[in-house]
Amino acid sequence: MSADVQLDNVWIRFGDFVAAREANIHIKDGEFFSFLGPSGCGKTTLLRSVSGFLEPSEGRVLIGGKDMKGIGPNKRPTALIFQNLALFPLMKVWENIAFALEVRGTSKAERRKKADELLELIALPDQGDKMVRELSGGQRQRVAIARALAAEPDVLLLDEPLSALDLKLRQHMRTELRAIQQRVGITFIYITHDQGEALTMSDRIAVMNAGRIEQVGTGDDIYSQPQSAFAASFVGEVNRFDGTVAALQDGFAVLQTPLGPLIGRNPGGLDTGAQASLFIRPEHVHFADPTRLPFANQMLAELERRDLEGAFINLHMRTCSDCKMPVSLHMTNTGQVLSLTGNAAEIGFTAEAAVVLPEGEVAATGADEAAV
Amino acid sequence: MTSSRLLNLYTWAFLAFMFAPLVLLIVSSFNDTSPPSVTPWEGFTGKWYAFFWMSDADLRADPVLRLLDRDRLVGCFQNSLFISSMVVPISLLLGLSGAVVLTRLKSRLNGVLWWVLLSPMLAPGVVLGLSALVFWGRVGVHAGLTTIIIAQVTFIASYALLILMARLQRQPVELEEAALDLGASPFRVFRRITLPFLFPALVSAAIIAFMASMENYNTTMFAKGGACNFATELGAMSRNPNGHPPVINAVGTVIIVLTVAAASLHTFLQRRETR
Repeated sequence: MSADVQLDNVWIRFGDFVAAREANIHIKDGEFFSFLGPSGCGKTTLLRSVSGFLEPSEGRVLIGGKDMKGIGPNKRPTALIFQNLALFPLMKVWENIAFALEVRGTSKAERRKKADELLELIALPDQGDKMVRELSGGQRQRVAIARALAAEPDVLLLDEPLSALDLKLRQHMRTELRAIQQRVGITFIYITHDQGEALTMSDRIAVMNAGRIEQVGTGDDIYSQPQSAFAASFVGEVNRFDGTVAALQDGFAVLQTPLGPLIGRNPGGLDTGAQASLFIRPEHVHFADPTRLPFANQMLAELERRDLEGAFINLHMRTCSDCKMPVSLHMTNTGQVLSLTGNAAEIGFTAEAAVVLPEGEVAATGADEAAV
Repeated sequence: MTSSRLLNLYTWAFLAFMFAPLVLLIVSSFNDTSPPSVTPWEGFTGKWYAFFWMSDADLRADPVLRLLDRDRLVGCFQNSLFISSMVVPISLLLGLSGAVVLTRLKSRLNGVLWWVLLSPMLAPGVVLGLSALVFWGRVGVHAGLTTIIIAQVTFIASYALLILMARLQRQPVELEEAALDLGASPFRVFRRITLPFLFPALVSAAIIAFMASMENYNTTMFAKGGACNFATELGAMSRNPNGHPPVINAVGTVIIVLTVAAASLHTFLQRRETR
């Protein structure tokens, strides 16, 4: 069985502090849904209100259409995978996995059988009699998943379960998690601050900041069509130019910036005079080709630093000496060595690739910091 | 260089200060002289120990031992065992409840509660004993073993509270939450997750509570009324006008041996739990 989850105008307050505000989300049955946001944005709080450790101060949480008010975590059709996994250290691996069955009074033989089946599923056969501390980090991770699945939940909740693993293992577990979700077919709600995890695994993502859900959409939507300054700056790297909207032309806005007028899409329907920011992804900034038409947005810039990232090269360009509007530019690494230092070059981007969004809080990390 | 030598000197002086009297106590418990002394050495004897099991005839033959009331001493010792057999479980239960409340229920009153629960440990033992005597006397409970048990529990429960709390604070709350999330009732979570984790701390707390109950003198002294326990009886014996009999040194030696053994066991258990 699987179930949908509905957050209906959920507010969660701790005293005067609002941890989550006005959350309205319908997570579909069988969906892999992620909450993505920096630490302290309220995503774990929302998850705890779904698992039943917290009651919303206002609003309703519905699982499978049923209001969960007053129903404790041990009575909800959810299973939670904790950030620190919370495997029981004094129990053997198979006892950990079969704990949910033990609670239901299943016979020992049957518990063992079910645990062995799940050990098979997570590719750890014959490890049931080990103690948890004898397993490696990745193995523990999988045991935690098996233990949650043994409860046969309608909804699986995952609270940053990969954050303790090293990079390679993390990437491997992404694929693994996605495969497990497709195999068992239940709803997954995934909490993460890692945009890579959210983008690669999720059907849909909710970007959160300061207790507020900024945008809900597919990974493609959020990366290409951000709806707020925060969503644009938190997911992926981005260049930002602040200014005032000077003119509008069907769906596009011209922003007056210290670098001159820049033009980009205007999805929010900003009016002239509005304080706004123009965002452009580094991979959409190119060197101008003198033999072709100039870009809609073009500027002179000097190379400040070159970072080799592997598949691409991140070029940090200075657009003017003191305007604090650096631009980073991603160039596919073709193996040729570029020597630009000190030389000015024309760089630019199209109006379609840029987006103008109302001025707002931007993420502390990402392109901003990297480009300074 | 000099400072480390100074520290060495200090450490040895401190250890000598701590243990030299104990060495004298042990040595004199084997010297055939009363009141107990190390010098002059009158010859090796085990009779201060044998006092507890020698025949009545042998007992009457000894000029020192025949003045002592062996049956009463043994009776008081049995009282001590009975008292601690009540004090230990009650203290563990109270300490455990307090520890769970203080570490698991986040209440604004926790700060106040913490001081209230620990205050008996800080209060002078005399005050505890006296107040138990006066209060329970008013209520109508006669001073005796019951008041000794009540008075001892008031402060020994705080020891248990401290030990169990330290352990509970180290158990991640997530373990209990995970069990709850997997469908366990709060009672089952406690029995299956919290209690097994607490087990080594419960053993430590029981040992410490037992020793505290056995050796307590001042609180017991005021709460005892007409009853006695081992500590108060040894106290009474040591006020003997002929100097205190070396039997007390023999008892002291046994207690030292038992204490060292218990402390070693405690350390061993703690080692094992941090493994």
